[in-house]
Amino acid sequence: MTSDNLRDRDRIEELLGVGGPAAVRARRFAVVLCIAVFAVACSQSPAGDRPAARRADGDGGRKILRIAYEREIDVLNALTSQNLVDIHFSMAEGLVTTDENNNYIPVLAREIPTEDNGLIERRDDGTVDITWSLQEGVRWHDGQPFTSRDVCFTWGFVTSEGSQTYNRDQYLGIIDCRMPDEHTAVFTWDDEYGYYAGLFEVILPAHVLDGMSTDQIVNYTPYNRGAETPGTGPFRFAEWKSGEYIRVVRNEDYWRGADYPAIDEIVWTFIPDSNTRLNSMKARQFDYARLEPVHADEVKDLEGYELHLVSSNTFMHLDLSVNDERGRTLFGDRDVRRAIFHAIDRPAIAEQLMQGTVTVAHTPLNPTSPYHNPEVPTYDFDPELSRRLLDAAGWIPGADGIRQKDGERFAFVMLNRAGTADRLAIAQVAQAQLKAVGIEVVFETLESAAWSQRWRGGNWEAMVSGWFLPADPSLTNIYSCDGSNNMTGMCNVELDEVLLRSDRALGFSARKPLLDEAQVLLAETAHSLPIYYNVVPELVSRRVKGYRGSGTNFGSFWNLYAWDIIE
Amino acid sequence: MTAYLSRRLLQTVPLLFGISIVLFAVIQAAPGGPEASLLETGRFIDPEVIEAYRQRLGVDQPIPVQYLRWLSAVLVGDLGVSFSTTRPVVEMIAERLPATLILMGSAFVLAAVVAAFLGIAGAVRPHTALDHAGTTLSFVGLAMPVFWFALILQLVFAVRLGWLPVAGTQTVGDTSFGDRLLHLVLPAVVLSFRYIAGWSRYLRASLASELRADYIRTARAKGLPERTVVGVHAVRNALIPVVSIMALNLADLFSGAVITETVFAWPGIGRMFVQAMFSRDYPLLMGILLLGSTMVVVFNLVADVVYGALDPRIRYE
Repeated sequence: MTSDNLRDRDRIEELLGVGGPAAVRARRFAVVLCIAVFAVACSQSPAGDRPAARRADGDGGRKILRIAYEREIDVLNALTSQNLVDIHFSMAEGLVTTDENNNYIPVLAREIPTEDNGLIERRDDGTVDITWSLQEGVRWHDGQPFTSRDVCFTWGFVTSEGSQTYNRDQYLGIIDCRMPDEHTAVFTWDDEYGYYAGLFEVILPAHVLDGMSTDQIVNYTPYNRGAETPGTGPFRFAEWKSGEYIRVVRNEDYWRGADYPAIDEIVWTFIPDSNTRLNSMKARQFDYARLEPVHADEVKDLEGYELHLVSSNTFMHLDLSVNDERGRTLFGDRDVRRAIFHAIDRPAIAEQLMQGTVTVAHTPLNPTSPYHNPEVPTYDFDPELSRRLLDAAGWIPGADGIRQKDGERFAFVMLNRAGTADRLAIAQVAQAQLKAVGIEVVFETLESAAWSQRWRGGNWEAMVSGWFLPADPSLTNIYSCDGSNNMTGMCNVELDEVLLRSDRALGFSARKPLLDEAQVLLAETAHSLPIYYNVVPELVSRRVKGYRGSGTNFGSFWNLYAWDIIE
Repeated sequence: MTAYLSRRLLQTVPLLFGISIVLFAVIQAAPGGPEASLLETGRFIDPEVIEAYRQRLGVDQPIPVQYLRWLSAVLVGDLGVSFSTTRPVVEMIAERLPATLILMGSAFVLAAVVAAFLGIAGAVRPHTALDHAGTTLSFVGLAMPVFWFALILQLVFAVRLGWLPVAGTQTVGDTSFGDRLLHLVLPAVVLSFRYIAGWSRYLRASLASELRADYIRTARAKGLPERTVVGVHAVRNALIPVVSIMALNLADLFSGAVITETVFAWPGIGRMFVQAMFSRDYPLLMGILLLGSTMVVVFNLVADVVYGALDPRIRYE
């Protein structure tokens, strides 16, 4: 395997050897040439003088949506794929999706069950029946009817051992799935679960996969690769060229009616390098691309395109671990954690580091979510307060300016993940600002897989990290004492109780006050400092209509059926 | 010669076996496992799902056990199934190989032609403008970071001038040869640079010293035209060191170029290798690395055979 480096370089230089006058002149030539090439690259060509996009002109009146997509997906089975989103959702549909405001809206379900519409029924034995009435007249891409059997089959698959569905644990509360008729599925839950409406992002086709073991389904290539991958969605699978693109074409038989979808074909071209995506957009070869925040300025005025800064459910945060003895020594005292939070200037991070594209976060839930609580305690940048809190906690500056207590220096390791420039930059700011209050931060940077291992193993002290929250606002998983994704080891009994209650509350009005309280308690307990909500710059051609953008786990393509291309 | 060849081929078997052990150990030594790709998106993951995933892939077993499992499958011609795509490794490699061969092959041919021209011109007429231009080109090729050079060429030829596509192998929907050729230009040029630089310098140096040899003076003395002296007598001998370096480079044909393929969204082996590395897709990694090692061994053998053809004094028994 070569790394494109000139491994023969030394030998070649040896051969060049002398480095005589010719070599000197050659070097001069090289410098001049480099400057010339660079000058052409950077020169601003007058607006409107840019060449027309190099597109295949053979569209023949067909509306083709071209997307520069950042990675190739692994498998088309949405429930075993490690990157379920976007491409899957163009072909497969679930009971629900979410709009750009984190609201669940029905897709294959006719409505979302609530207590008000009578589709949720508590039974005497403590179990809860939740009835999903399904759209009628829906057919899979191969012509088979979509029925309640598919829904119950999907439940059976997800909950089976080894199904590999990332949120399998959330489905385990369902103990039975009944089919009173073809268009009704009834789940019996063993208790009340607030997140019942966010599951079943995708329904699997029972007529293709029934009769196989879980392991066989996970490994079933015809379904994973497109040969037998019927969905119910607006587009059907057409072609997957490994390493290049996936092409989907209009589903002529779409259940929403003959007007949908308006687009004839979508080509998802895989372009892993973000700079190449940027160049491709500038050359007008695509209608849509997700870019990096650093590119935002460069394309905000690109003619024919509109830049959308989509606020994502991913929130950046600084975590302090109390998993081990040393973590508890340093971060066990809440006032000390608060002191650390007050020492970090988050508005500066948002304004300067992220060029004002992001908003500072005070709670994990994005303001786009109806569950967002704007009234939580905040940690304003106040180094003086920070120093006072640390003094009061007994951490006194030593000879080297670093605070000490009982012979222990206040120094800790920030574990960084290589290749995440934004997180690294935040960590650097935190490092400098903590130094100013007498706390030493040293960096350890690991490659992604190695980082994950350390992170999950709890073998770290502090890190800047990002959670991608689903549209459902349950925070129990990450902040309750026994939460399966509680990485910091935090445990606040009061918060725990509220979180668990919020999970057991059915419906918005019951859940909202509990989650509001949970967000306040979470801020007060100060184990994790929210920094900002990630922003995803999405560059979309002005020809594209119907795009609304969304930072939820269903992404911006949730309403693809309603998109259109108008010249 | 046949005896020599079969002996050499037989030697490759234990060699590759040894290589496979080293590769397996190195891959496994990298911290983290294939479950990392489950965590990439930052979603909450059911920890039991992670455990079940590791179990299904067999990476919860001790490393020697994993190696023996892998080896026993390989011995019957089965390179295993990719962790992430659940498809046979052989199939995945076979799918990506043509793109890599086309890209690397074009870069090689381009580089060979340009390098031969620059090398010979530089040796025959040293310190002329052409020689300096060649030296310049070598320096530029050597000094330029590949990703940067590639992005600059994209900016100039695709974004500013609009002559060439930015990336990919074809405009989707357009199957014409011309379209494919246009897509090939930038990545092939970027890749060829690193070979042009090396090869032309080797050839220039080697040819320059051959041209000072006694037999060249003799050839000139007996009145042979300069074309024949250089083209037939000197170049042939000068090629020997060049051939060994080219043969080693030829193994790259099958392993691809990581950065160039990534920047140009080229569906080759190199890009697949990087993806496999990040997701710790052990079977796929082993497959690609083993292919690469085999090719290095094979092309070394080829180089030895070519020496014999170039220089009749070299004979293998």
